Order: sequence, then structure tokens, then C-alpha cells
Amino acid sequence: MNKAYPAFPPIFEIPDAALPARCFHCHATIDERQRVDGSHEGRDISFCCSGCHAAYLLIRGAGLDAFYRRRQATSAASTGHRLVATAYSDAYLERFVVRKGDSASISILIDRIRCAACVWLIEKMLGRIEGVTDVRIEYLSHIARVEFDPGKIAAGEIFDTVAALGYGPRPYTVSAARAVAREERRDLLVRFGTAAFLTMQLMACSIALYAGYFHGMEPGMKRNLQLFSLVLTTPVIFYSGWPFLRGAFRSLRNMAPNMDLLVSIGALSAYIYSLAAFAGGGEVYFESAAMIVTVLLAGRLLERGARDRAVAGTERLLALAPERAMRMKGEASEEVDVASLEVGDMVLVRPGENFPVDGEVVAGITEVDESPVTGESLPAIRREGDGVLAGTLNLSTPVTVEVRKVAAESFIARTARLVEEARTRTPAVQALADRCAALLVPVVLAMALLSLLISAYRGIALVDALMTAVSVVLIACPCALGLAIPAAVVAGSGSAARAGVIFRGGDVLERMGMVTDVVFDKTGTVTEGRPRVERVTAFHPFTGEELLLLAASLEASTLHPFGRAVTEHARSLAGSIPSCTNVRSFPGMGVSGEVGERQVLAGNTRFLSENGIDFGNIPLQIASSRMYIGCDGKPAGMIDVRDGVRAGVAGLVGYFRQMGIGGRLLSGDRTGEAARIAAEIGVGRSSGDMLPEDKAAEIRQMQGEGKRVLMIGDGINDAPALAVADVGCAFSGGMDVAMETSDLVLMRGDLELVRFAHGVALRTMRVVRQNLVWAVVYNAVGIPLAMSGRLTPVFAAAAMTMSSLCVVANSLRLARLPNGGG
Amino acid sequence: MEESLILLIVLSGALGLACWLVFLWAVKRGEFEDPERPKYRMLDDE
Repeated sequence: MNKAYPAFPPIFEIPDAALPARCFHCHATIDERQRVDGSHEGRDISFCCSGCHAAYLLIRGAGLDAFYRRRQATSAASTGHRLVATAYSDAYLERFVVRKGDSASISILIDRIRCAACVWLIEKMLGRIEGVTDVRIEYLSHIARVEFDPGKIAAGEIFDTVAALGYGPRPYTVSAARAVAREERRDLLVRFGTAAFLTMQLMACSIALYAGYFHGMEPGMKRNLQLFSLVLTTPVIFYSGWPFLRGAFRSLRNMAPNMDLLVSIGALSAYIYSLAAFAGGGEVYFESAAMIVTVLLAGRLLERGARDRAVAGTERLLALAPERAMRMKGEASEEVDVASLEVGDMVLVRPGENFPVDGEVVAGITEVDESPVTGESLPAIRREGDGVLAGTLNLSTPVTVEVRKVAAESFIARTARLVEEARTRTPAVQALADRCAALLVPVVLAMALLSLLISAYRGIALVDALMTAVSVVLIACPCALGLAIPAAVVAGSGSAARAGVIFRGGDVLERMGMVTDVVFDKTGTVTEGRPRVERVTAFHPFTGEELLLLAASLEASTLHPFGRAVTEHARSLAGSIPSCTNVRSFPGMGVSGEVGERQVLAGNTRFLSENGIDFGNIPLQIASSRMYIGCDGKPAGMIDVRDGVRAGVAGLVGYFRQMGIGGRLLSGDRTGEAARIAAEIGVGRSSGDMLPEDKAAEIRQMQGEGKRVLMIGDGINDAPALAVADVGCAFSGGMDVAMETSDLVLMRGDLELVRFAHGVALRTMRVVRQNLVWAVVYNAVGIPLAMSGRLTPVFAAAAMTMSSLCVVANSLRLARLPNGGG
Repeated sequence: MEESLILLIVLSGALGLACWLVFLWAVKRGEFEDPERPKYRMLDDE
């Protein structure tokens, strides 16, 4: 049973005479007795009530007609995902449904969720469906879990509802890796929670014990309290601290000392020392051991939270390519799974659909939106013999494509793989702390051994000598050291987040502070990625405004970015645009149509000269694209359109130059265009014609030369480069995938924030260094004192607390960073 | 004096245990799974 779902639901369609009359404004069916008539852009329209008519007049009066057009455009654009959204057959979806008794559930990955309102809307609309019992959407991963009664509703209807709202639902199976990550996070949380509760209890005992130390205490009571401390501490060390112990064991086996080892040595030596002291009737320091474990677990949990946000990336990348395709068999066509397509198969791709695989056009000519892949905002013309890439969008006419690569080898799949590879290569977090630990572990152990030997040499009893050695390790315990980095990172990234800059993990701050080179993507990053009208040249007898209006009415219905730029400009100047009839669009050439009595053409020179209108040779003054307009067989004028450079880019480049950081521009666009933009923003070097792989390779080569690279980009084509770079930076508003593969996300499309982020990183690293120096100085003073046996453990413990407090207080200075710009 | 101290220790231990159990229950219920969600909850109707 391969039930194909209806095309886009009628709710977004323009009312048509053949259909039952629907209200122009709200699309409700019109009750003939209450019908209200009006007209819109020369067409008769009707409303279901005078309320809707009034709303329409209000919207129009405010010059917001675009709303109705957009609504249509949205539906046109959304049909682009129609194949993806609603072509799933019930039989196919059945594979994703998990049944449990009478109820069933399905996980749906939903594309194009932008904000909390989206989540709210989808949850509400799904919740209203008869038979749906529970809907829950995860805010971070955009994965919805829907529980429903399979007797009342099929999964396909749920998908249709989501698609009807304009979102892209896809069936989703929880990947094994994700399930494991979730389990790990839960495990870490329980370990931390347990440690926290026990340590709180422990503190009460410790206060009593400390008070007893200074003021005297009944020995029996002291012993009870110590016993209680022991009982509380043991699970903290061996259950909550297990991740550290395991890590320490692993690092010992690999002969690579790391932070885990240092933490374990510190905690274990404090524990064992206290155990021995408890047996021998001395002072115990269980709380030191428990504190180390608890505080460091908290740091680890914070780190983990930041990293978990980066998980879902590649899955959404793969979501770009549709899962179903129309395979041609002679005259007939059948809908098949993309995975079943083989090289040489013919596939029909209608306008508004994404190409399912990489292939070659064999019949038809069309415009293709390749922006998700190349970052280029202008559509590319693809005619017979041209290649098309999976994930790009067919804009204008149906074409037949011959499959050149199977789905698993398609561009999107390759990009996803590149990203995945790069991510696994990214060095582990806390590299700096690990380096410190690698240095400290041997030193501390050597000191302990040395003190043991000296004590033995001086003829001190072995038990006492061992006590001294252990106390050295205890004093060298890395409490302050362990806190030095997480505290600064949490304070620094917290204040950055308030200003709209998200650092994904502490290592990002570290690497950001050490960047030596910055690489920009061109389209959408340095430029706005959206062409604007630069200049209008009108020939007599037309005025500039007339020309603009003519062109705008012609282009109003096209999806071409040039057309949109022109209509937007016209609307901002004139308010409304005259309507146009008989519009015909010639891919790669231009558009023709009638505006009022006039026959208007707009397009490139070739298109106009083929229609008998010759513009001669008018040189382009600046590098921009030009649209020629002819009217009634004569040249009427020209409109120059250009993708402008973002504000603040030149300032940013200047800032980096001042900091001694070199700039570079990599673009998928033509080399000349890249060089021109590079010159405009003051970047010395530029390269054009780069594929995503090339960008990543270029960055890897720079890294090979010992450079640390910050990459700023926004497209899917930048994703591999962002993942490879030492720091990948994307901003909100770009593609989701770019944001998820990057380490640094700007919440506004404002490049000033990069400068701010760099400043935060530098400041945070300065505080981290201060903290480390402090922790090391403390150790340097404490260890010799302990070695000579002059430092009684009570004062050592007090000094340790002071040291930790100093580190935290110093880090908190970062929380008072000035907002933005700074 | 010592008896009352032991009683208090046991009492506080029991309180801590109760808190810990509540915490475990909350983790099991998925209370900490989606830290983004709670801040929007007040906007929900129900």
C-alpha cells in the first residue's frame, strides 16, 4: 500500500475558480450568504466575511501586500520539500514506529525550526490531532517524539500536519552513538549528584572536627565523627570518582600522565592518608578528597553540557537530500527509495524539489539554487550535459537527471563524512590542563619519593616517613589547578554568551586566544549574501522610478535573487507594484511579460538582442551584475545589482592585522570576484573556485605550516573547513549545519562579535595563566614545607581552600566583561 | 550528649538519603534531559 500523500495542503494555495470558493485572507470556505467581494492586483477575490475583508484592506493600506505574495512564495518554496515532507508512504514510516501495547511512538527530526514559537506551534498542532496522545520536542536537537494510537491515526498524517505548517519532518532513528552519549550524560549527572549530597553531609562533620582540633574534643566523639566521615567519603571516591580513576588507570597504561591521573593521585592519597590517620588516631582529611572529586565532576558536567549542543549536526546535513525520488522507466515513472538508485538511472526532478543524488542533466534546462552547497546566492543554469549536486534545489522547470553517483557517494554524504572525520580528529578538551598535569605528575611523585628517601636517610621511622611523603602528595593535590581552567572558562564563556557569543567548550577559548590566521568565506560571510540594487540607469523617456516599477512587476513572481532585489527596492520606494500578465521566464536569459499596454523584457544583453533590442556596448563601472530592460522593442534602461560587503568587515580585518593575525579569503566564487572583495576589505590573499574539500585542504595545509586558523563561514560548503579549522566560527542565520560544526557561534550576524570573542578569549586565557601560576606557586611553597615536615596538615588543608578561593575569585572577574565591542 | 550527636548524625544522614532518592527519581524521569525547555514553559497554555 503505497499511499502517496496529497501535494501541499490547500491551506496555502491560491483560491481557484474550479475549487470551492475560499476566503482570500484566511482560506476558510466561503458561505455564499456572507461573501464579500474585492479585487487584488487586477483579479477578483472574495472573502468569507467583512472581518477578513477589513483585515485585507488594513494590510494593503499599510503597504504590506507582500504578505499575500510571500504566503504564496512560501508555499512555492515549501513545495520544494514536498517530496521530502509528505512522500513517505505509511509502509515506509511503519519501519520507524515503535509499538508498545496499544500505543505507538515515532521520532521525527524536524527541519527549519528556528525558535521556541516554532516548537510551541508544532506541539500544539500535533497535540490537537485525534489519536495523538503525547508530543514532546527537544529544543536542542529539534527531534520530536510523538506518541499516538495506531488504531486512530497513521504516522503519515502526523507528517502531513508538520509539513503543512511549513516544516520539514523526517523519520528519525536514535543513532547508537547518540543513545550512548545520552546514557553517559545521565551517568555523569548521577555521579555528580551523589558526590554533592555526600560532600554536603561531610562538610558538617568536618566543621565539627576542625572546631574540635582547635578547641579540644572528646576522643570518643571525635572517633565517631571520623568514622562517619569515612563512611561518607568512600562512595564519593570509588563511585563518583570512578571516571577519574578509570581515566588515571588508562593514562598509566598508555604512559601519558593526564589530569585524571593527577586528580586520582590527589584524591587517593588524601583518602589513604586519612584512613591511616584514622587507624592511628591522627587528624583526617576526608573532606579534601571528597571535595576534589565533587568540584572536578562539576567542571566536567559543565564542559559536557556545552559539547552536547554540537551532536546533531551531520544528521541534519544528510537531511538535505530527499529520501525518495521519481525514477523514470521509459514513459512511466515510479517513486523509489533514493538508496535504491543506481548509476545510469533516470530521475525526474520537478521545480521546487531537491536533487536526490549527484547526476547529469539529460533533458530540460533549469535554474538551480546551489546556495546550500556552494554558498553562491545566484542560481546557476543547468542544461543538458551539466552536472547537478545532491541537496541543491531545482528552481524553474522539470528536468530529467541521469544518476552519476549512488546516494552514499553523493556530495552531501561526502561532506557529512568529511565533517565527521574532522570532528573525531579534534583534540580532546582540557588539553592545557593535561599538559600541566603531564608536567606535574612526575614532579610531585619525585618530590614525594625524595622526601621519603631523605626521611629514611635521617633515620626516621618508616611509618612517619611514609606519612611525610603522603602529605607532600596531599598538599600538591591539584584542587586549585583543577579549578584553574574550568572556573575561568565558565566565567568567560558565560559572559560571552550574554553578549551573544557561544563558545563550545573550554578548549575553544584556548585555541581562539592562540589564533595566528583568520580565513573568511566570501558569500554570506564577508558579503551579505543577498544582492541589492546598486544603481538604476533609465533611458529617455523613462524615469528611474518608472523603469524600476516595470522591472519589478515583471520580476515579482520570480524566485531569482536579482528579481527579489529589484522588487524589494521598488516596493521600498513606491509602496505597491503594478501587476504584470503573460509572464514567461527563460532560464538563464530573462523574463518577458506585459505591464499594462507595454511589452516588457528584462534579462541579459543576449536575451534582449535576440528579441531585437540592442544595447550596444555599455561598460560596467563596478563589478556588479546588470539587468537590461527593454520596453516595446526599445532599450529602456539598466539596473545594476550587487552583493555588498557587510558592515564592519574591514574593521575586523584591520583589528586582526593590528593583532598580527593574517587574513585570507576563500570563495567558491570566481577567482576574480574573490580578489576584488579581498581588496575591498583589505585582505591580502584570496583564492576562488574552491570546493568544500579544497577549503578544508587549504586550511589543513596552513595548519601544516604551523598556523592556527580561525575560519569564519556560514554555508554547508564551509562545514568541512569549519570542522577542520582550529576554531570554526559560524553565525546564527546561516545554515544549521554550519553552526553545528563550528566551535564558536555568533548569535547575531554581526562580525563585530568576532572581535569581541577574540578579546574574551585573550582575557580568559590571561586569567587561566594567572590561575595556573597561582596554583603552581602555592604548590612550590607548600611542597618544600611539607617535605621538611614543618607544615602541619591542618594548615595545609586551610591553605588549599584559600588557594581554591583565590582561583575562583580571580576567575569571577571575567564575569564582569563589558558587553559587545570590547 | 554523645547519644544526641549520633541521633543527629543519623537524622541528617536520613534527610540526605531522602534528597538523594528524590534526585535519582528526577534523573530517571528525564528531568534534566532538556535544559532549554523550562524557560519556555510559562508560555504554554496549560
